Amino acid sequence: MTSLKRSLASDPYASNISSKVYVRSTKSGKVQKIVREVYLRQDIPCSSKLCSACLKTAPRDASGTLPPFVLSDTPAGTKEFPQGHYLVPDTNALLNAMDLFEHNSAFYDVIILQTVLEELRNRSLPLYNRLIGLTKSEDKRFYVFFNDFRLETYVTREVGESINDRNDRAVRKAVHWYSEHLTQSVKTAGQRKINPAIVMLSDDKDNLSKAKADGISASSLEKYVAGLENSDQLLDMISVAKENREMKDANAKAAENLYQEYFSVSKMMTGVKNGTLHQGIFNVSPYNYLEGSVHVPAFDKSLLVLGRENINRSVQGDVVVIEILPKDQWKEPSTKIIEEDTLNKNENPDAEDGEQVVTERERRALQEEVKQVHSKGTEGRAQPTARVVGVVKRNWRQYVGHIDESSVSQAAKQSRKQQMVFLIPMDKRIPKIRVRTRQAGEIIGKRVLVTIDSWDRDSRYPVGHFVRSLGDLETKGAETEALLLEYDVQYRPFPKAVLDCLPKEGHNWIVPPSMDDPGWVNRRDLRGLQICSIDPIGCQDIDDALHARPLPNGNFEVGVHIADVSHFVKPNNAMDAEASIRGTTVYLVDKRIDMLPMLLGTDLCSLKPYVERYAFSAIWEITPDAEIVNSEFTKSVIKSREAFSYQDAQNRVDDASQQDELTTAMRTLLMLSKKFKQKRMDAGALSLSSPEVRVETESETSDPIDVKTKEHLDTMSLVEEFMLLANCSVAAKIYDAFPQTAMLRRHGAPPKTNFEELANQLKVKRNLELKTDSSKALADSLDACVDPQEPFFNTLVRIMATRCMMSAEYFCSGTQAYPEFRHYGLASEIYTHFTSPIRRYADLVAHRQLAAAIDYEQLDASVRSKGKLEAVCKNINVRHRNAQQAGRASIEYYVGQALKGRIVEEEGFVMKVFSNGFVVFVPRFGIESLIRLRDLADIEPESTFDAENYILKTSGSREVEVELFEKVVVRISDVVEEGTGKRKVKLELVKTGSK
Amino acid sequence: MPLDTSTYSLALLRLDGRRWNELRRLTAQISTQAAADGSSYLEMGNTKVICTVTGPAEGKRTGGAGTGGGNEAEVRVEIGIAGFSGVDRKRRGRNDKRISEMQTTISNTFASSLFTHLYPHSTININIHILSQDGSLLAACLNASTLALIDAGIPMRNYICACTAGSTSSHSANDEAADPLLDLNNLEEQELPFLTVATVGESDEVAVLVLETRVQMGRLEGMLAVGVDGCKQVREILDGVVRRRGKRILESAAV
Ligand SMILES: [Zn+2]
Repeated sequence: MTSLKRSLASDPYASNISSKVYVRSTKSGKVQKIVREVYLRQDIPCSSKLCSACLKTAPRDASGTLPPFVLSDTPAGTKEFPQGHYLVPDTNALLNAMDLFEHNSAFYDVIILQTVLEELRNRSLPLYNRLIGLTKSEDKRFYVFFNDFRLETYVTREVGESINDRNDRAVRKAVHWYSEHLTQSVKTAGQRKINPAIVMLSDDKDNLSKAKADGISASSLEKYVAGLENSDQLLDMISVAKENREMKDANAKAAENLYQEYFSVSKMMTGVKNGTLHQGIFNVSPYNYLEGSVHVPAFDKSLLVLGRENINRSVQGDVVVIEILPKDQWKEPSTKIIEEDTLNKNENPDAEDGEQVVTERERRALQEEVKQVHSKGTEGRAQPTARVVGVVKRNWRQYVGHIDESSVSQAAKQSRKQQMVFLIPMDKRIPKIRVRTRQAGEIIGKRVLVTIDSWDRDSRYPVGHFVRSLGDLETKGAETEALLLEYDVQYRPFPKAVLDCLPKEGHNWIVPPSMDDPGWVNRRDLRGLQICSIDPIGCQDIDDALHARPLPNGNFEVGVHIADVSHFVKPNNAMDAEASIRGTTVYLVDKRIDMLPMLLGTDLCSLKPYVERYAFSAIWEITPDAEIVNSEFTKSVIKSREAFSYQDAQNRVDDASQQDELTTAMRTLLMLSKKFKQKRMDAGALSLSSPEVRVETESETSDPIDVKTKEHLDTMSLVEEFMLLANCSVAAKIYDAFPQTAMLRRHGAPPKTNFEELANQLKVKRNLELKTDSSKALADSLDACVDPQEPFFNTLVRIMATRCMMSAEYFCSGTQAYPEFRHYGLASEIYTHFTSPIRRYADLVAHRQLAAAIDYEQLDASVRSKGKLEAVCKNINVRHRNAQQAGRASIEYYVGQALKGRIVEEEGFVMKVFSNGFVVFVPRFGIESLIRLRDLADIEPESTFDAENYILKTSGSREVEVELFEKVVVRISDVVEEGTGKRKVKLELVKTGSK
Repeated sequence: MPLDTSTYSLALLRLDGRRWNELRRLTAQISTQAAADGSSYLEMGNTKVICTVTGPAEGKRTGGAGTGGGNEAEVRVEIGIAGFSGVDRKRRGRNDKRISEMQTTISNTFASSLFTHLYPHSTININIHILSQDGSLLAACLNASTLALIDAGIPMRNYICACTAGSTSSHSANDEAADPLLDLNNLEEQELPFLTVATVGESDEVAVLVLETRVQMGRLEGMLAVGVDGCKQVREILDGVVRRRGKRILESAAV
């Protein structure tokens, strides 16, 4: 009989094979045991340029290229290691101080061990991704050494040894091997090469002392950083979270916990599954930092989360799990403005003991709220209220803010003593952050960037650390960068890899003169057409151009020609990857952050006049009644005859003496566009409104001079109508070709509850009815919302209605049912973005799909994979929203700057009334600001608030009556906030409309 | 959880420490079960299969099932997957599509490489038991069958040797610099495109080619070349197993 016993001994491989066994539990709660083989080898290079031995055995990829060695042969030295050194951080070092490793003044030549990389991935995916980013950067010289695959450095877990201890041992063994190996290779090299020290970085005391015993160089992060040149700056970046924890352990008698403990993950998951708990994204009210809301699928209306205890350490954007409170604890959303900086002004950031979650003042503010609910006795308006029982995913990012000067002790301003200070984030919805720093004196009055590290149960505020300073408050550079960081706009210059993807000819690139050139294949020659573009003044990235000409049968041929960006940006190269991350071009008042490099955006792709350009054309045959007879799409070459501004085009059209071909064509287009518009309106398209102003700046310094509201010209809707037409036609075409993966854009119908408040307000104040059954009904009832005395009233209602809408979003057609494709605002069954590929990534994807749909080229795999497209959509939806908000914030900032030192009186309208203040909107500047009761007079007046009728009446020091929709006159000035030195637009009530 | 396949580019190392062109450890034995006409046990990494062959035997009449049961022998394959062989313990039914597809592939392959015309009206039964699964399952079954058939002494044209080949990045990543990979384990099969290829002996003649994942045309050639090369390495190993066995029989006969 033969036995099945393996004959390991006879196998040459045997000694090099190890197996790795681990246990994991799946989402569904099953426990799986996983056995994997590990092949140990000796040809994993150390990747030091000092070593020639490894070079001989280093592996090559399938095409035979050898990855270059990473670690420098002249690494930097420190006081302690003058001969130069390589760093080997352990997992905790990376967890606590990733910002340090990304810093460009230190931390070069770093060896990342496989053990550490794996551990980091398990602990934090975002940090892991940042580390992978570092390993790809050439100048930082980070090398990943697969120590668990190298025979000499592989460590098996001993009986009774914890995984952590095993990993620490693996790190020490690798460090040991590295230093021996390098000493050896430097010796054999013979020349006088330096022998760098291999330094292990760890914050684990146990690990450090064992390292000492093993005779390898090791250092704590703090000690290591202290030995560097700019140590103060760097030391602040070490997360204090860990330190705190240790301190508390030492205290033993644990400080009283301020917040309730989170539920365990499994308890939350089962709760969510069986419906007793709910999961959603936590949002903070812009007017009340103690009021949050969470939208969950089970409820139409968002659930309220009121008060610090119930909010339980969630921060804006976190994914939280909540529990509904008993019905008798349900509340109304607050009618009161509660701002953190006024309520808790004088707290001491260092106070750890005797702290309460809810300060006395907060308690009082909230109690008044509750009283109000009871006094009215109308329980009907109370909303389901909940408390947070756990956080599934933190959505913490880096926050921009400024140091609360009052939290800095005078003594510390000069000294370098480390102390706790408060950082007040720019985003009002984010709580104050406790930051420990040595540079308090220097960063007062600066815009600074911080991150949150942790928020423990025993701390009222989250704890974070300082990343860097952006510059003085109120300086243009700092404020612009702050804005870009707040909205996560990628504003760094394009890396070399991206620029390498540009055409070699640069600005000299031209459409190939010879029609035999491959660029001409399947491209129609439309150079003979009278094409022109119409854009805002000074537009450089011209995405679109138009033409129209009469046909012999009485119909018209109309063409929309779009820049052929997909010709220049090929899928999956570095430029495409960068564009897909950026997602959109961001327009600020004085700056444009491009999605694509300038060469393409403003030159080669841009449909500039008088030169030949590649285009993607949509051409229709249209009857004089604006019926589409026929449509086709083709790649083309065009030559625009003229680039008009809206105003120029309008003047030409209006001037009857102009009878040239271009002007006649524009008249035709205008005539057709009006008919198209009427048709859309009849179908129920909405005309919505958002406050739009334009900041005029001095051309040289770009200092703001004046603020103008935007004018509307017929030629604007001319362009808009044809862009809509092109987008709709393309949407239908690509959906037809790729039913599962077409890149489309939808706008969901808003839930009825969104309009409840506005409808009620209109009913009570103006006896108007807002019908929201369909977009058509809404459009009609909005048209009816007029006040004969006040022409702006209609616009005001439209602005408020717009805020009740859902936001439109990109999606991949396979993820929604056809009826869900609908674009509510445009009343269109199907829609996409096609007309601005220079500045929007979605359009670029639509271009690729359309090109494939007309068999111009093969569809790339990346735009055919549903999963990949979904990821693209998710990203660009966020980028799009951020870009809009950044643009708005930029205008707001410049409006403030334009008003600097001026005091103006302007008309405004009351948009919202609270029990202790109201919001006024000033159309002239497009600003919207709060006026609190205490702003009305030196002594805060008494007030009565009639919530049913939206009237706030004051008495005592000043007697006014403010009601919703009312026209008021306000005095606008800018003030410098005491304490922070921050400039703010301030509104004062001069008089109310009628009285 | 350990790293995923995206880390390959960091140091040209796969999840289990292999290079792109390396096979896993492949070991095999033949004549493991004396009761069968031919038998083998084969491991490709952690994929472990037992194969037994009975026959050729005169056909039992099973209601016209054997269409080829006339002048040539019919090759019947039955695969059983042990409940404990995968990560999740689960029972597979008889009619599992994946199993029946593998059965058909194996049966067709050997029907054309065995000299079936020598055994008219008879059946050759190949029984495969999968004890442990870690990728390259079809390839392991083909290799084990080859050994068991040789052990049973059924004449065949040449060895059928199989292995898998893949690519280091997924289809949608569309990475042009992707390296081809040899002999994928389970984790790699789940994340990456791959094919199973079997060749006849030392030649480049492809007997089986199964590709079920989406992959760019451009990468296919490289994958196939690596796969065929892998098959040749597999042949060397199988040949070694057979020769060692033969030598031992001769030695024991000489005593
Ligand atoms: Zn070396």
